[in-house]
Parts: sequence; C-alpha cells; structure tokens
Amino acid sequence: MRTLDPITTEIVRNAFSAAADEMNATLIRSAYTPVIYEMKDCSVALLDAEHRVLGQSAGLPIFLGNLEICTRATEELYGRDAWQPGDVWIMNDSYMTGTHLNDMTVFGPIFVDGELTGFAASRAHWLDVGAKDPGGPMDSTEIYQEGIRLGPTKVVEGGVQRRDVTDLLGRNSRFGYPAVGDLGAQIACVRTGQRRLEAIVAKYGRETIEAARDEIFAQTERLERAAVRAIPDGVYRAEGCIDNDGRSDEPVWVRLAVEIRGDEMTIDLTESDDARRGPVNCGEAQAISACRVAYKLLINPESPPNGGAFRPLTVKVRRGSLLGAEEPYPCQWYFTPLGLLIDLVVKALADVLPERSAAASYGDSMIIGLAGVDHRNGRPWFDLEPTVGGWGAWHGSDGEDGLINNVNGSLKDLPIEVLETKYPLRLTHYGFRADSGGAGRWRGGNGVVREYTIDCEQAELFLWFERSVTPAWGLFGGHDATPPVVVVNPGRDDERRLLKASRVPLRRGDVVRTMTGGGGGFGDPRERDPERVRRDVRDGHVTPATAWTVYGVEVEG
Amino acid sequence: MSRFRVSMDIGGTFTDVVAYDEERGTYVAGKSSTTPRDLTAGVLDALGTIDAHPELCGFVVHGTTQGLNAFLQRRGERVLLLATAGAGDVYHIARGNRTRLYDIHFRKPTPLVPRSDIVEIGGRLDWAGEELEPLDADAVRAAARRAREEGIASIAVAFLFSYLNPAHELAAEEILLEELGDAVTISLSHRIAREWREYERTSSTVLDAYISPIVRRYLDRLEGELVSRGLAVPLHVMQSSGGIVTAQSARQMSLHTLLSGPVGGTMGGVALARSLGRPNLICVDMGGTSFDVSLVVDGRPDVSTETSLEGFPLLMSVVNIHTIGAGGGSIAYAEAGGLRVGPESAGADPGPACYGRGGTRPTVTDANLVLGRVDPAWFAGGQMTLDVEAAREAVAGLAEELGLDTVELAEGICDVINAKMAQAIRTLTVEKGIEPREFALVAFGGAGPMHAAFLAQELEVPEVIVPRFPGAFSAWGMLETEIRKDLARSYYTPLADLDPEDLCAVLSEQEREAYETLAAEGIDRGRARVEHALDVRYVAQEYTLTIPLEGADEPRRSGFDAALSSRFDRAHEQRFGHANPGAPIELVTARTTGFGDLGRAAPRRLDGRPGATYEYEERSIVFGRRELMARVARREALAPGAVVEGPAVIVEATATTVVPPGATLRVDELGSLVIAIGEGA
Repeated sequence: MRTLDPITTEIVRNAFSAAADEMNATLIRSAYTPVIYEMKDCSVALLDAEHRVLGQSAGLPIFLGNLEICTRATEELYGRDAWQPGDVWIMNDSYMTGTHLNDMTVFGPIFVDGELTGFAASRAHWLDVGAKDPGGPMDSTEIYQEGIRLGPTKVVEGGVQRRDVTDLLGRNSRFGYPAVGDLGAQIACVRTGQRRLEAIVAKYGRETIEAARDEIFAQTERLERAAVRAIPDGVYRAEGCIDNDGRSDEPVWVRLAVEIRGDEMTIDLTESDDARRGPVNCGEAQAISACRVAYKLLINPESPPNGGAFRPLTVKVRRGSLLGAEEPYPCQWYFTPLGLLIDLVVKALADVLPERSAAASYGDSMIIGLAGVDHRNGRPWFDLEPTVGGWGAWHGSDGEDGLINNVNGSLKDLPIEVLETKYPLRLTHYGFRADSGGAGRWRGGNGVVREYTIDCEQAELFLWFERSVTPAWGLFGGHDATPPVVVVNPGRDDERRLLKASRVPLRRGDVVRTMTGGGGGFGDPRERDPERVRRDVRDGHVTPATAWTVYGVEVEG
Repeated sequence: MSRFRVSMDIGGTFTDVVAYDEERGTYVAGKSSTTPRDLTAGVLDALGTIDAHPELCGFVVHGTTQGLNAFLQRRGERVLLLATAGAGDVYHIARGNRTRLYDIHFRKPTPLVPRSDIVEIGGRLDWAGEELEPLDADAVRAAARRAREEGIASIAVAFLFSYLNPAHELAAEEILLEELGDAVTISLSHRIAREWREYERTSSTVLDAYISPIVRRYLDRLEGELVSRGLAVPLHVMQSSGGIVTAQSARQMSLHTLLSGPVGGTMGGVALARSLGRPNLICVDMGGTSFDVSLVVDGRPDVSTETSLEGFPLLMSVVNIHTIGAGGGSIAYAEAGGLRVGPESAGADPGPACYGRGGTRPTVTDANLVLGRVDPAWFAGGQMTLDVEAAREAVAGLAEELGLDTVELAEGICDVINAKMAQAIRTLTVEKGIEPREFALVAFGGAGPMHAAFLAQELEVPEVIVPRFPGAFSAWGMLETEIRKDLARSYYTPLADLDPEDLCAVLSEQEREAYETLAAEGIDRGRARVEHALDVRYVAQEYTLTIPLEGADEPRRSGFDAALSSRFDRAHEQRFGHANPGAPIELVTARTTGFGDLGRAAPRRLDGRPGATYEYEERSIVFGRRELMARVARREALAPGAVVEGPAVIVEATATTVVPPGATLRVDELGSLVIAIGEGA
C-alpha cells in the first residue's frame, strides 16, 4: 500500500466531506415536503466500492451510518453484476433498512472509466406511502398495514427514469405530487454524488484516492480507539420502558449492557423485550444505527463519520426482539424505543463519563394529529405536529426549555399564525410548563403547554404521547422530570386524559391541552445557586412553592 | 460647492473613506484609525486625509456598524416586550429547533429580553384579521407605568396577526405615547416586518428595539457634526439590502442598517459588473478570521427576504453573505497523524506567530510568509513588520510532527485552506443552482487577493479581478448604489382561489406607498422606479421563490395564472434542477421595492498603454514545491495596459495579490487587476 503525504490526504478528506454536503444541499433545497427540508428527516452518504463511507452529511442522527446496508443488501440479492452505469435504485423494506416504510432510500453505483468505484445514497422520509391511515397508522399490527413495501427496485435505468416505477410510487401515496417530487430530489442528490466522486477521482487519480481513503479511515479509528480506551473497563447497565406498544397497556422494556474492554465497546441489547404486536418494533439495522448515535454523542462528536468510524463498536441484537424485528411485526413507530435507547446508553456511561453525559430529555416526538373538513372552503385538512419539551441538565448548565426531541432533527414548531390560517383551529395557549423540569443543581429544561380549540363542526384527534412511565431521569442527585399529560376539555364534565389515541371525535369548542414533560435535573438541588433559583421564580420557570420545598430558597411569589 | 461624492465605512480597526472627485473624474481613498469612544472623530479625520471637507461634499453615504456592534457585544438597550396573551413565551420557545444535531448539550441563543420583561396583553385577532377580543388598554397602560418606573427606554410590541390588521399595535402605541411621550422608542412588529410567523416577526422587532436608541443617538450626533462643519446635503446610510436611505429614515428603521458594513463589498461587485460588462461575479472577502462569499447574478446582488444572526431570525431584505471560518489567522495543527487547518483562528491577538505577539501555532499568514508570498516589510502597507523567523519556526515545529519538510508544509497549509474555501464556494453555488465556471471572481479584503487565483484554479473560474482599493472596496461599493425601500405584505392564497382585483389593489397600495417614501427621501418621480414580485411555492412546499411581476396590474391581465405558473416552474427548474409543471401553486407574500437613482460617478477611463513597462524587483517564491524567481511590483507602478506574467506578487497599502505561474495579470483602463488563470501550475 502506498503511503500518502498528510497534505493530499487532508485535501481529499475535505473533498469527500464537501461532496456529501453538496449532495445534502441538492436534496434539501429541492425536496418537496417539510419533513425533509425542515425536519432534515433525511441523510446522504458517499460510499466506496466496498460500501464504506467516504463522506456523510449530518442529516437526521438516527440514520447515522446505515445507508450502506441498502447497497450491501442489493448486492446480496442480485449479485455484484446488478450494478450498471446510470442506474438508480430505491428501497424501503423495514426489515432490511431497519426503519419504517416512510423512509425511502435511493441509491446508485458510481462508475469511473468503466470501473465500479463507489455508491451515492440518500434516505428521506416521505409524507405518505399508502398505509391504512394518512401519514402512517398508530395502531398497526402487521407491516402490511403500513404502506407499500419495496425491496431493491430500479427506478432509473441507464440514465432514464422508469415511468412505470415512478407511476407505481405516485399511485401508492395519498400525496402523489410531493412523493414524485421528493423522488426527483433524491435522484438529483444521487447524481450529484456520482458527479462529485467522478470529479474527485479525475482530479487526484484512483491510486491517490485509495491511499488517502485508507489513511483517513485510520485517523478516525485512532481517534475513536483513544477515546474508548480512556473509559475505565467494565460493564455498565441501564434499562427503561416506553409506556406501551399502542395496542396494550403493558410497558415495553429496553435493556442494555455496555461493555468497555480496552479500546473496544460492545452494546448488548439482547435482554430487551420480544417484538410486540403494536408498531414499536424496528429492524436490526436501525437498532445498530441508534447505538452509533449514542456512541457518537460520547466519542468524537465533532468529526463527520466515515468508514473508519464505529470500528471499536460492536452491537448485539437478538433476532425476534423488538430491536431485531422480523416479518410481519409492525414498525411504524420504530423510533420511540430508539430515542429511549440513546438516552439509556448515555445514562449507563454517566458514572464514567460525567462531563460528557446529560440527564435524560423528555424523550419522544409527542405527536398530535387533528383532522377534519374545513368549513371555510370545504377541503379536508390534517395537522400533524410533534411537540417540543424539556432537555436534561448537565454538569455546568441547565437543560434547554422547550426544544424538539432528538429524532426530529432540526424541526421547527408550527407558528400560531400559520396554523390558524391553514386549519380551522385556534391555538389559545403556548408557553412553558413551570416546574416540569427535574430540579437539580443544574435544572432540567421545562416542557410546554400547547392548547388547541376546535373551530369547525367536527374533527378527529390522534395522539402519540410517550414516556409517562419512565419520565426523564435526573443524574447525580438531580430529580426526575414531570411526565407528559394530555387533557381533552379540561375542567368540563366531559374532561378526559389520554396519551395515545386514534380518531377520537371532537366538536366545535372542544379543547385539547397538551403538556410535554421536562428534562432531568443534574446534581443536588440544595446545591443550586440561590440567585439562579430566584431568577427562575422571577422568570416563572419555577414556582415559589418548589423554590422553598425543593431548593430551600424562600422567594416571594 | 459640491465636488466630492464620499463614502465612509467604519471597521473595527480602520475607518475607510473613498471619494469620487467630480472635477478630476478620479477616486481617492483615505484612512484613519477608528476611534471607538467617539466614532465621529475618526470619520472627520479620515475625511481630512483626502481634503474632502464636509462643505465640499455633494453626496455622502455611510456604512455603520453601531447597531451590529451593540448586538454582538450585547450592550443594547433594555427592552420591554408586549405580546399577545397566551403567546408570551413564543419569543423564548424560539420555534424549539436545534441547529446542532449531535449535541446533548445544546442551548438556544440567550434571548435579548428575559422572560420577566415580557408582558402579555389581552386582545386577539383571528386568521382573517377580525377582532375576537378587544385590546386590553389597561394592561398596556400598566406596562407603560412599569417602563417609566424601571427606566426602560425601549418598547417592542408584537401582537398575533398584526400583519393583517395593525389596529391593536397602533392603539397600544397611542397609549404608550400618551403615558411616556417620546422619551422611549417604540418598535411595532407590523412596521418592522409585515409578514406572518410571529416568532420571526417578534425576533426582528425585539432586535430593532434593542439597537434603535443607540443607532439614533449615533446618527444624530454624526449628522450634527457634519452639518456644523458645513455639510449641506442629507447624510445617507447603507442598509442590509444593499440600498441606501437618508439618515432621517434610518432612524425610524434601525434594524435595516444592521449589516450595513459588509454588504458594501457586494454592491461594489454590482458596480464592477456594470462597468466591466461581466454580469456574473463571485465576490470573496478574506480578512484575518473570516472568509465571506457573496454573489452577483445577472448584474444584481443576491438578496434574500430573511436571514438570521447568531441564531436570531430577521425578516428583512438582506444581501446574502456566506461566511466560513477561514482567514489569515486560521491555525494549522495535527490530529491523529493528519493535518488540519482551521476553523480555529489566532485572531488579531496573539495573531499569527509572525506578528510577534506571543503566538506560536502556525497560521495561514505564517505559511504565506514562509513561501515568500507576503513581503515581511510591506504587510498592511508597511504599518507592521513581520517576523519571518518566528513564522518559519512555528511551521517547522508542525512539519516535524507530521514528518514533512517546512516549505512543503507551508504550501500544504495554503493548499488545504484554498481547497476548503473553494469547496465552500462550490457548495453555495450548488445550493443556488449556479455553475461557478460561468463567473469571474472578485477578490478584496486584506487576504482575498493573495488566495483568489488558487480558488479560481480549484473552481475552474477563468478570471480573477482585484479592484482598486481592495482594502476599502466596501466603502467604494457604497458610492455606487441607489436608494432602496422594501415593502412586503403576507398574501397567502392558493393561485386557484386568487382574487386578482384584490391583489392588484394591494400592489397598487404598496406602489403608492413606495413612491411616497421615495419622495420623502428626496427622490422625484423621474428618478424613481418600482418593482413588484410575489413569493410563490408549490402547494405543500415551505420555501418560496420570489417571482418578479411586470407591474401592479399584471394579476388582472388575462392569462396571468398560466404566466405566473410557468415563470415559477422555470425558476424552480433553474434553481433546483427540476420542476413539477401542472402542480398547483400558492402565493405567500406580495413584495414591492422602490428604487431611487442618486446619480453615479462617471470615472475617466485611463488610457491603456499595452506592454507598459514598470519597476519591479525579483524574489524567490515557492509554487508547486519549487522555488521560482518571481517579480514583485508595487501596484502604483502598474499603469493601465501593463501586463505581468506569473509567478509574481503585487503589493499595495491594503493588500497583496499573488499571481501564480501560468496566470497573466493585466491592468485594465479602470485600474483593476485582471488575472487570466490559464492552465495553472
């Protein structure tokens, strides 16, 4: 193997990473649906011919380092000869890709001078893929209820987009235009990756590129092994549950053991519960991805991942468990246990990585859906929103108040003015929920209260609120946070409390008050600087009663 | 007596002045140290250096960083924010998004107004602007009393749906004025940005309130000083949009002056595009710590309708400037056996090792010095002597760690930073759907001309232009712009439901308002022009494209729907590479912009003498790992028509231009250095 000077290596490293950024820019700027360009519910990667990551753009963390699964799976099914110049493929099978059917992965081989040199891949969330309910069901029991399911399928052949496959995809979505639009954006993204890798190889030469790649991978591996080695050897455990699977009331347990031995880390998930009848299962690939996110949060978080990353990490998944789901278990809400899993890895290692850890966040997407027919124009409408909540505190800082959860990328909430213009709803209250963050020397962030009033004759309510059984935990003496609560018609005779629900009928004037949980506290609240407690009371984040009973600070109300 | 058209740009270290002398048909540039305690003193000094005394000035424009500095240093005015009851936390929730995804320690930017200074006021409008609940006048009065008692001098008012119906905000203003007189400044959200999205509008309004008293005091003082020294024309101020307004109207809309300084460079690019007949330019401004890229497309600046600053969104027209952390001060270091350059910067203090202020880590400036591309005795026009040995030592230390030769690493550091900057430019152009090869590159700022030719090689851009006064190009650019007033109103409707008469009425109303405000700026009808545009998107998209209209009455013309749709499809195709013809579209915002022509300098073109000779010395400089003999010439020595073959270095007071081997520099008749890149080395 030829060794290369560090200058060329660094220039090539930047070129790979810029190529991935360009792919991402192409995808986000031309995507049709807000889930992609706003939630960044997407990810792109440039791979070498052996399916190793040359460059990946920081899209949705939960897609970290598993796009190569798709090119590998295709090769396993159809052989290496299946790759032909100018082709682009698409797939979404949950058991192969690990994720729910809404996530479409579009990828293609890159040939330079007739030789297979790499792959470009992009994954993005499509609004609707023809499940039994719009967007995706909350109570599916089999994957067949969750939409169209594709193994690797050619959507562009020899540079020409296949009309039959495009038509098939459009017909299988309730929103055909955006689906075909997003497909176009993903194909454009793959083509950008193809062009950039061709240009990089043309500029530096194949031999240089390969030598640079090997050195880049080696650098990343060295950095990560050093970081893992710095953690004391041992086995660190954590467990927690999500409330239920959407079908029964039984909690669903995620249990993990993190073993550090020298410069190797193993995350063992095999003790987690069996696959469930409700849609909270995920394919193995996505469980591995979530472990990689947690690993990345603690090890070498600054540098973009490449084929040298995650080499010190082994993940053990049990087939048939909820984290290694097999046909026909439903996967629509696959990310609910994974958000918990990520928090649990941080918790397990908190004692040995106190400075890098943080108390738990409010934990899940906290989805509210409202649908009906708009009396103003007679059109059907559907408002689907995740809700922000509190994040965990850490050594040296309070947790953030009212922030979107981990798996929703950089999603922004829906402005009141946009919401009321688009839908026959009134948003009568949107503000912080005092005392919902766990108390601590560093206070957990507060959740929010968001209250909707129905302003049309009839509507339906959908809810997916989670983490009431395992609310955000505190660390090092910090208190746990308050769990979420949703109340329909508070203070009225027909008041009801719900967390998960599908198609609950509502009438004009009905009120839905959602309250999200806070983040956990960090450190003993009695050690909190009294001036900070007074400021929290002044700002309304902590009530005078809590200031006195929990923090021991007397403040006039 | 008006002889000079003058522009003044106050930077952190220097105050630049550029004047166009109408008698001679030439430009002169002057400079003095910025006087932070009393900026007017520095301005007057700088004017003095070129004898452009206020009474001789027929036109004066100014780029101010007052508001920006107050914001960046968080020493703005304490603000009391009045918000709609039930929505008072909107400003702190800040839409709840995260901008760093792999970070469990993420915090939003600290809001400029603490939660305890936000007052919720009863009163509510609905989505159509109809009143659901009247304004709680008593609550406004109580807030006014609180402001008086606590000595709060600036009040921001941002109520829901005020962009549709400003009645509640106006009523609140009346009460506040009754109670407080004009001792306080009041910023109303519908005046700052008449667009939907309450958080973005509130954030814009709060920032205006935060800087407004400071900007007003400053402009009052500066204009007062200039007038007392004989200035007989109104002072003009640069806006973030690239247009200018009188100081009088800048006082009413301080927010629009926020990015007044840096956009001058882009507007210089626009003027250069006009005079050179090259409509497409990539403008690069490289200083000590940052590298700014902006674009001129079809002779127009690339202007956005919103931006964000340190995480705070702002609804206002702004010239897009893309900043990356790469500059002369970027530090090179080793990580896991690999070389890294930046984004960490040595800044100005300690600065690069060669500054001799205690810096020991090698920077890009040190690398250039080791290579001989910077003249140690002529840095910053001879105001600073650089320590070559210190630079060599710093680079040698890292070279040893990486197993490289010192000179090899020095060139490697430049190669890496050039590649990073070129990639940043390429990513930006991909986002805009632009092919860099069809552009020329304009380089300014102290370090821009040193790296520009290498960036051009990377990007396959054929030509680099280094304008006159590259260190004061921003000031020069301000001289070449025009009055600009932007008006916008949310106008949300699917095209299928559009009432054309209603839209025409909104546009005509805005047109009338635009002419009125231009008249208030002293622009008569003959020198005024108005343009209209609509923000449009496919139904279900979020981002919009701004599509120009042919006039305020276009929506009522027959075939308008089809014309607008196809114009939008074409723009979408161009920008994003694909379109969806036939898919339904919707309108989001109606925009009207008024421009006022203030006349322009008409500089004499200098007679070119092809092959003009010039004085130079020769020095050995490293290119492509080899030492080559290169010509080093002073820019003043190069007459129009002079041709310099690379390798060469051109030095002048504010910048150094590097011409690599294979490239050819020619001086054009306006005095610009035009470098044809050739095949490169």
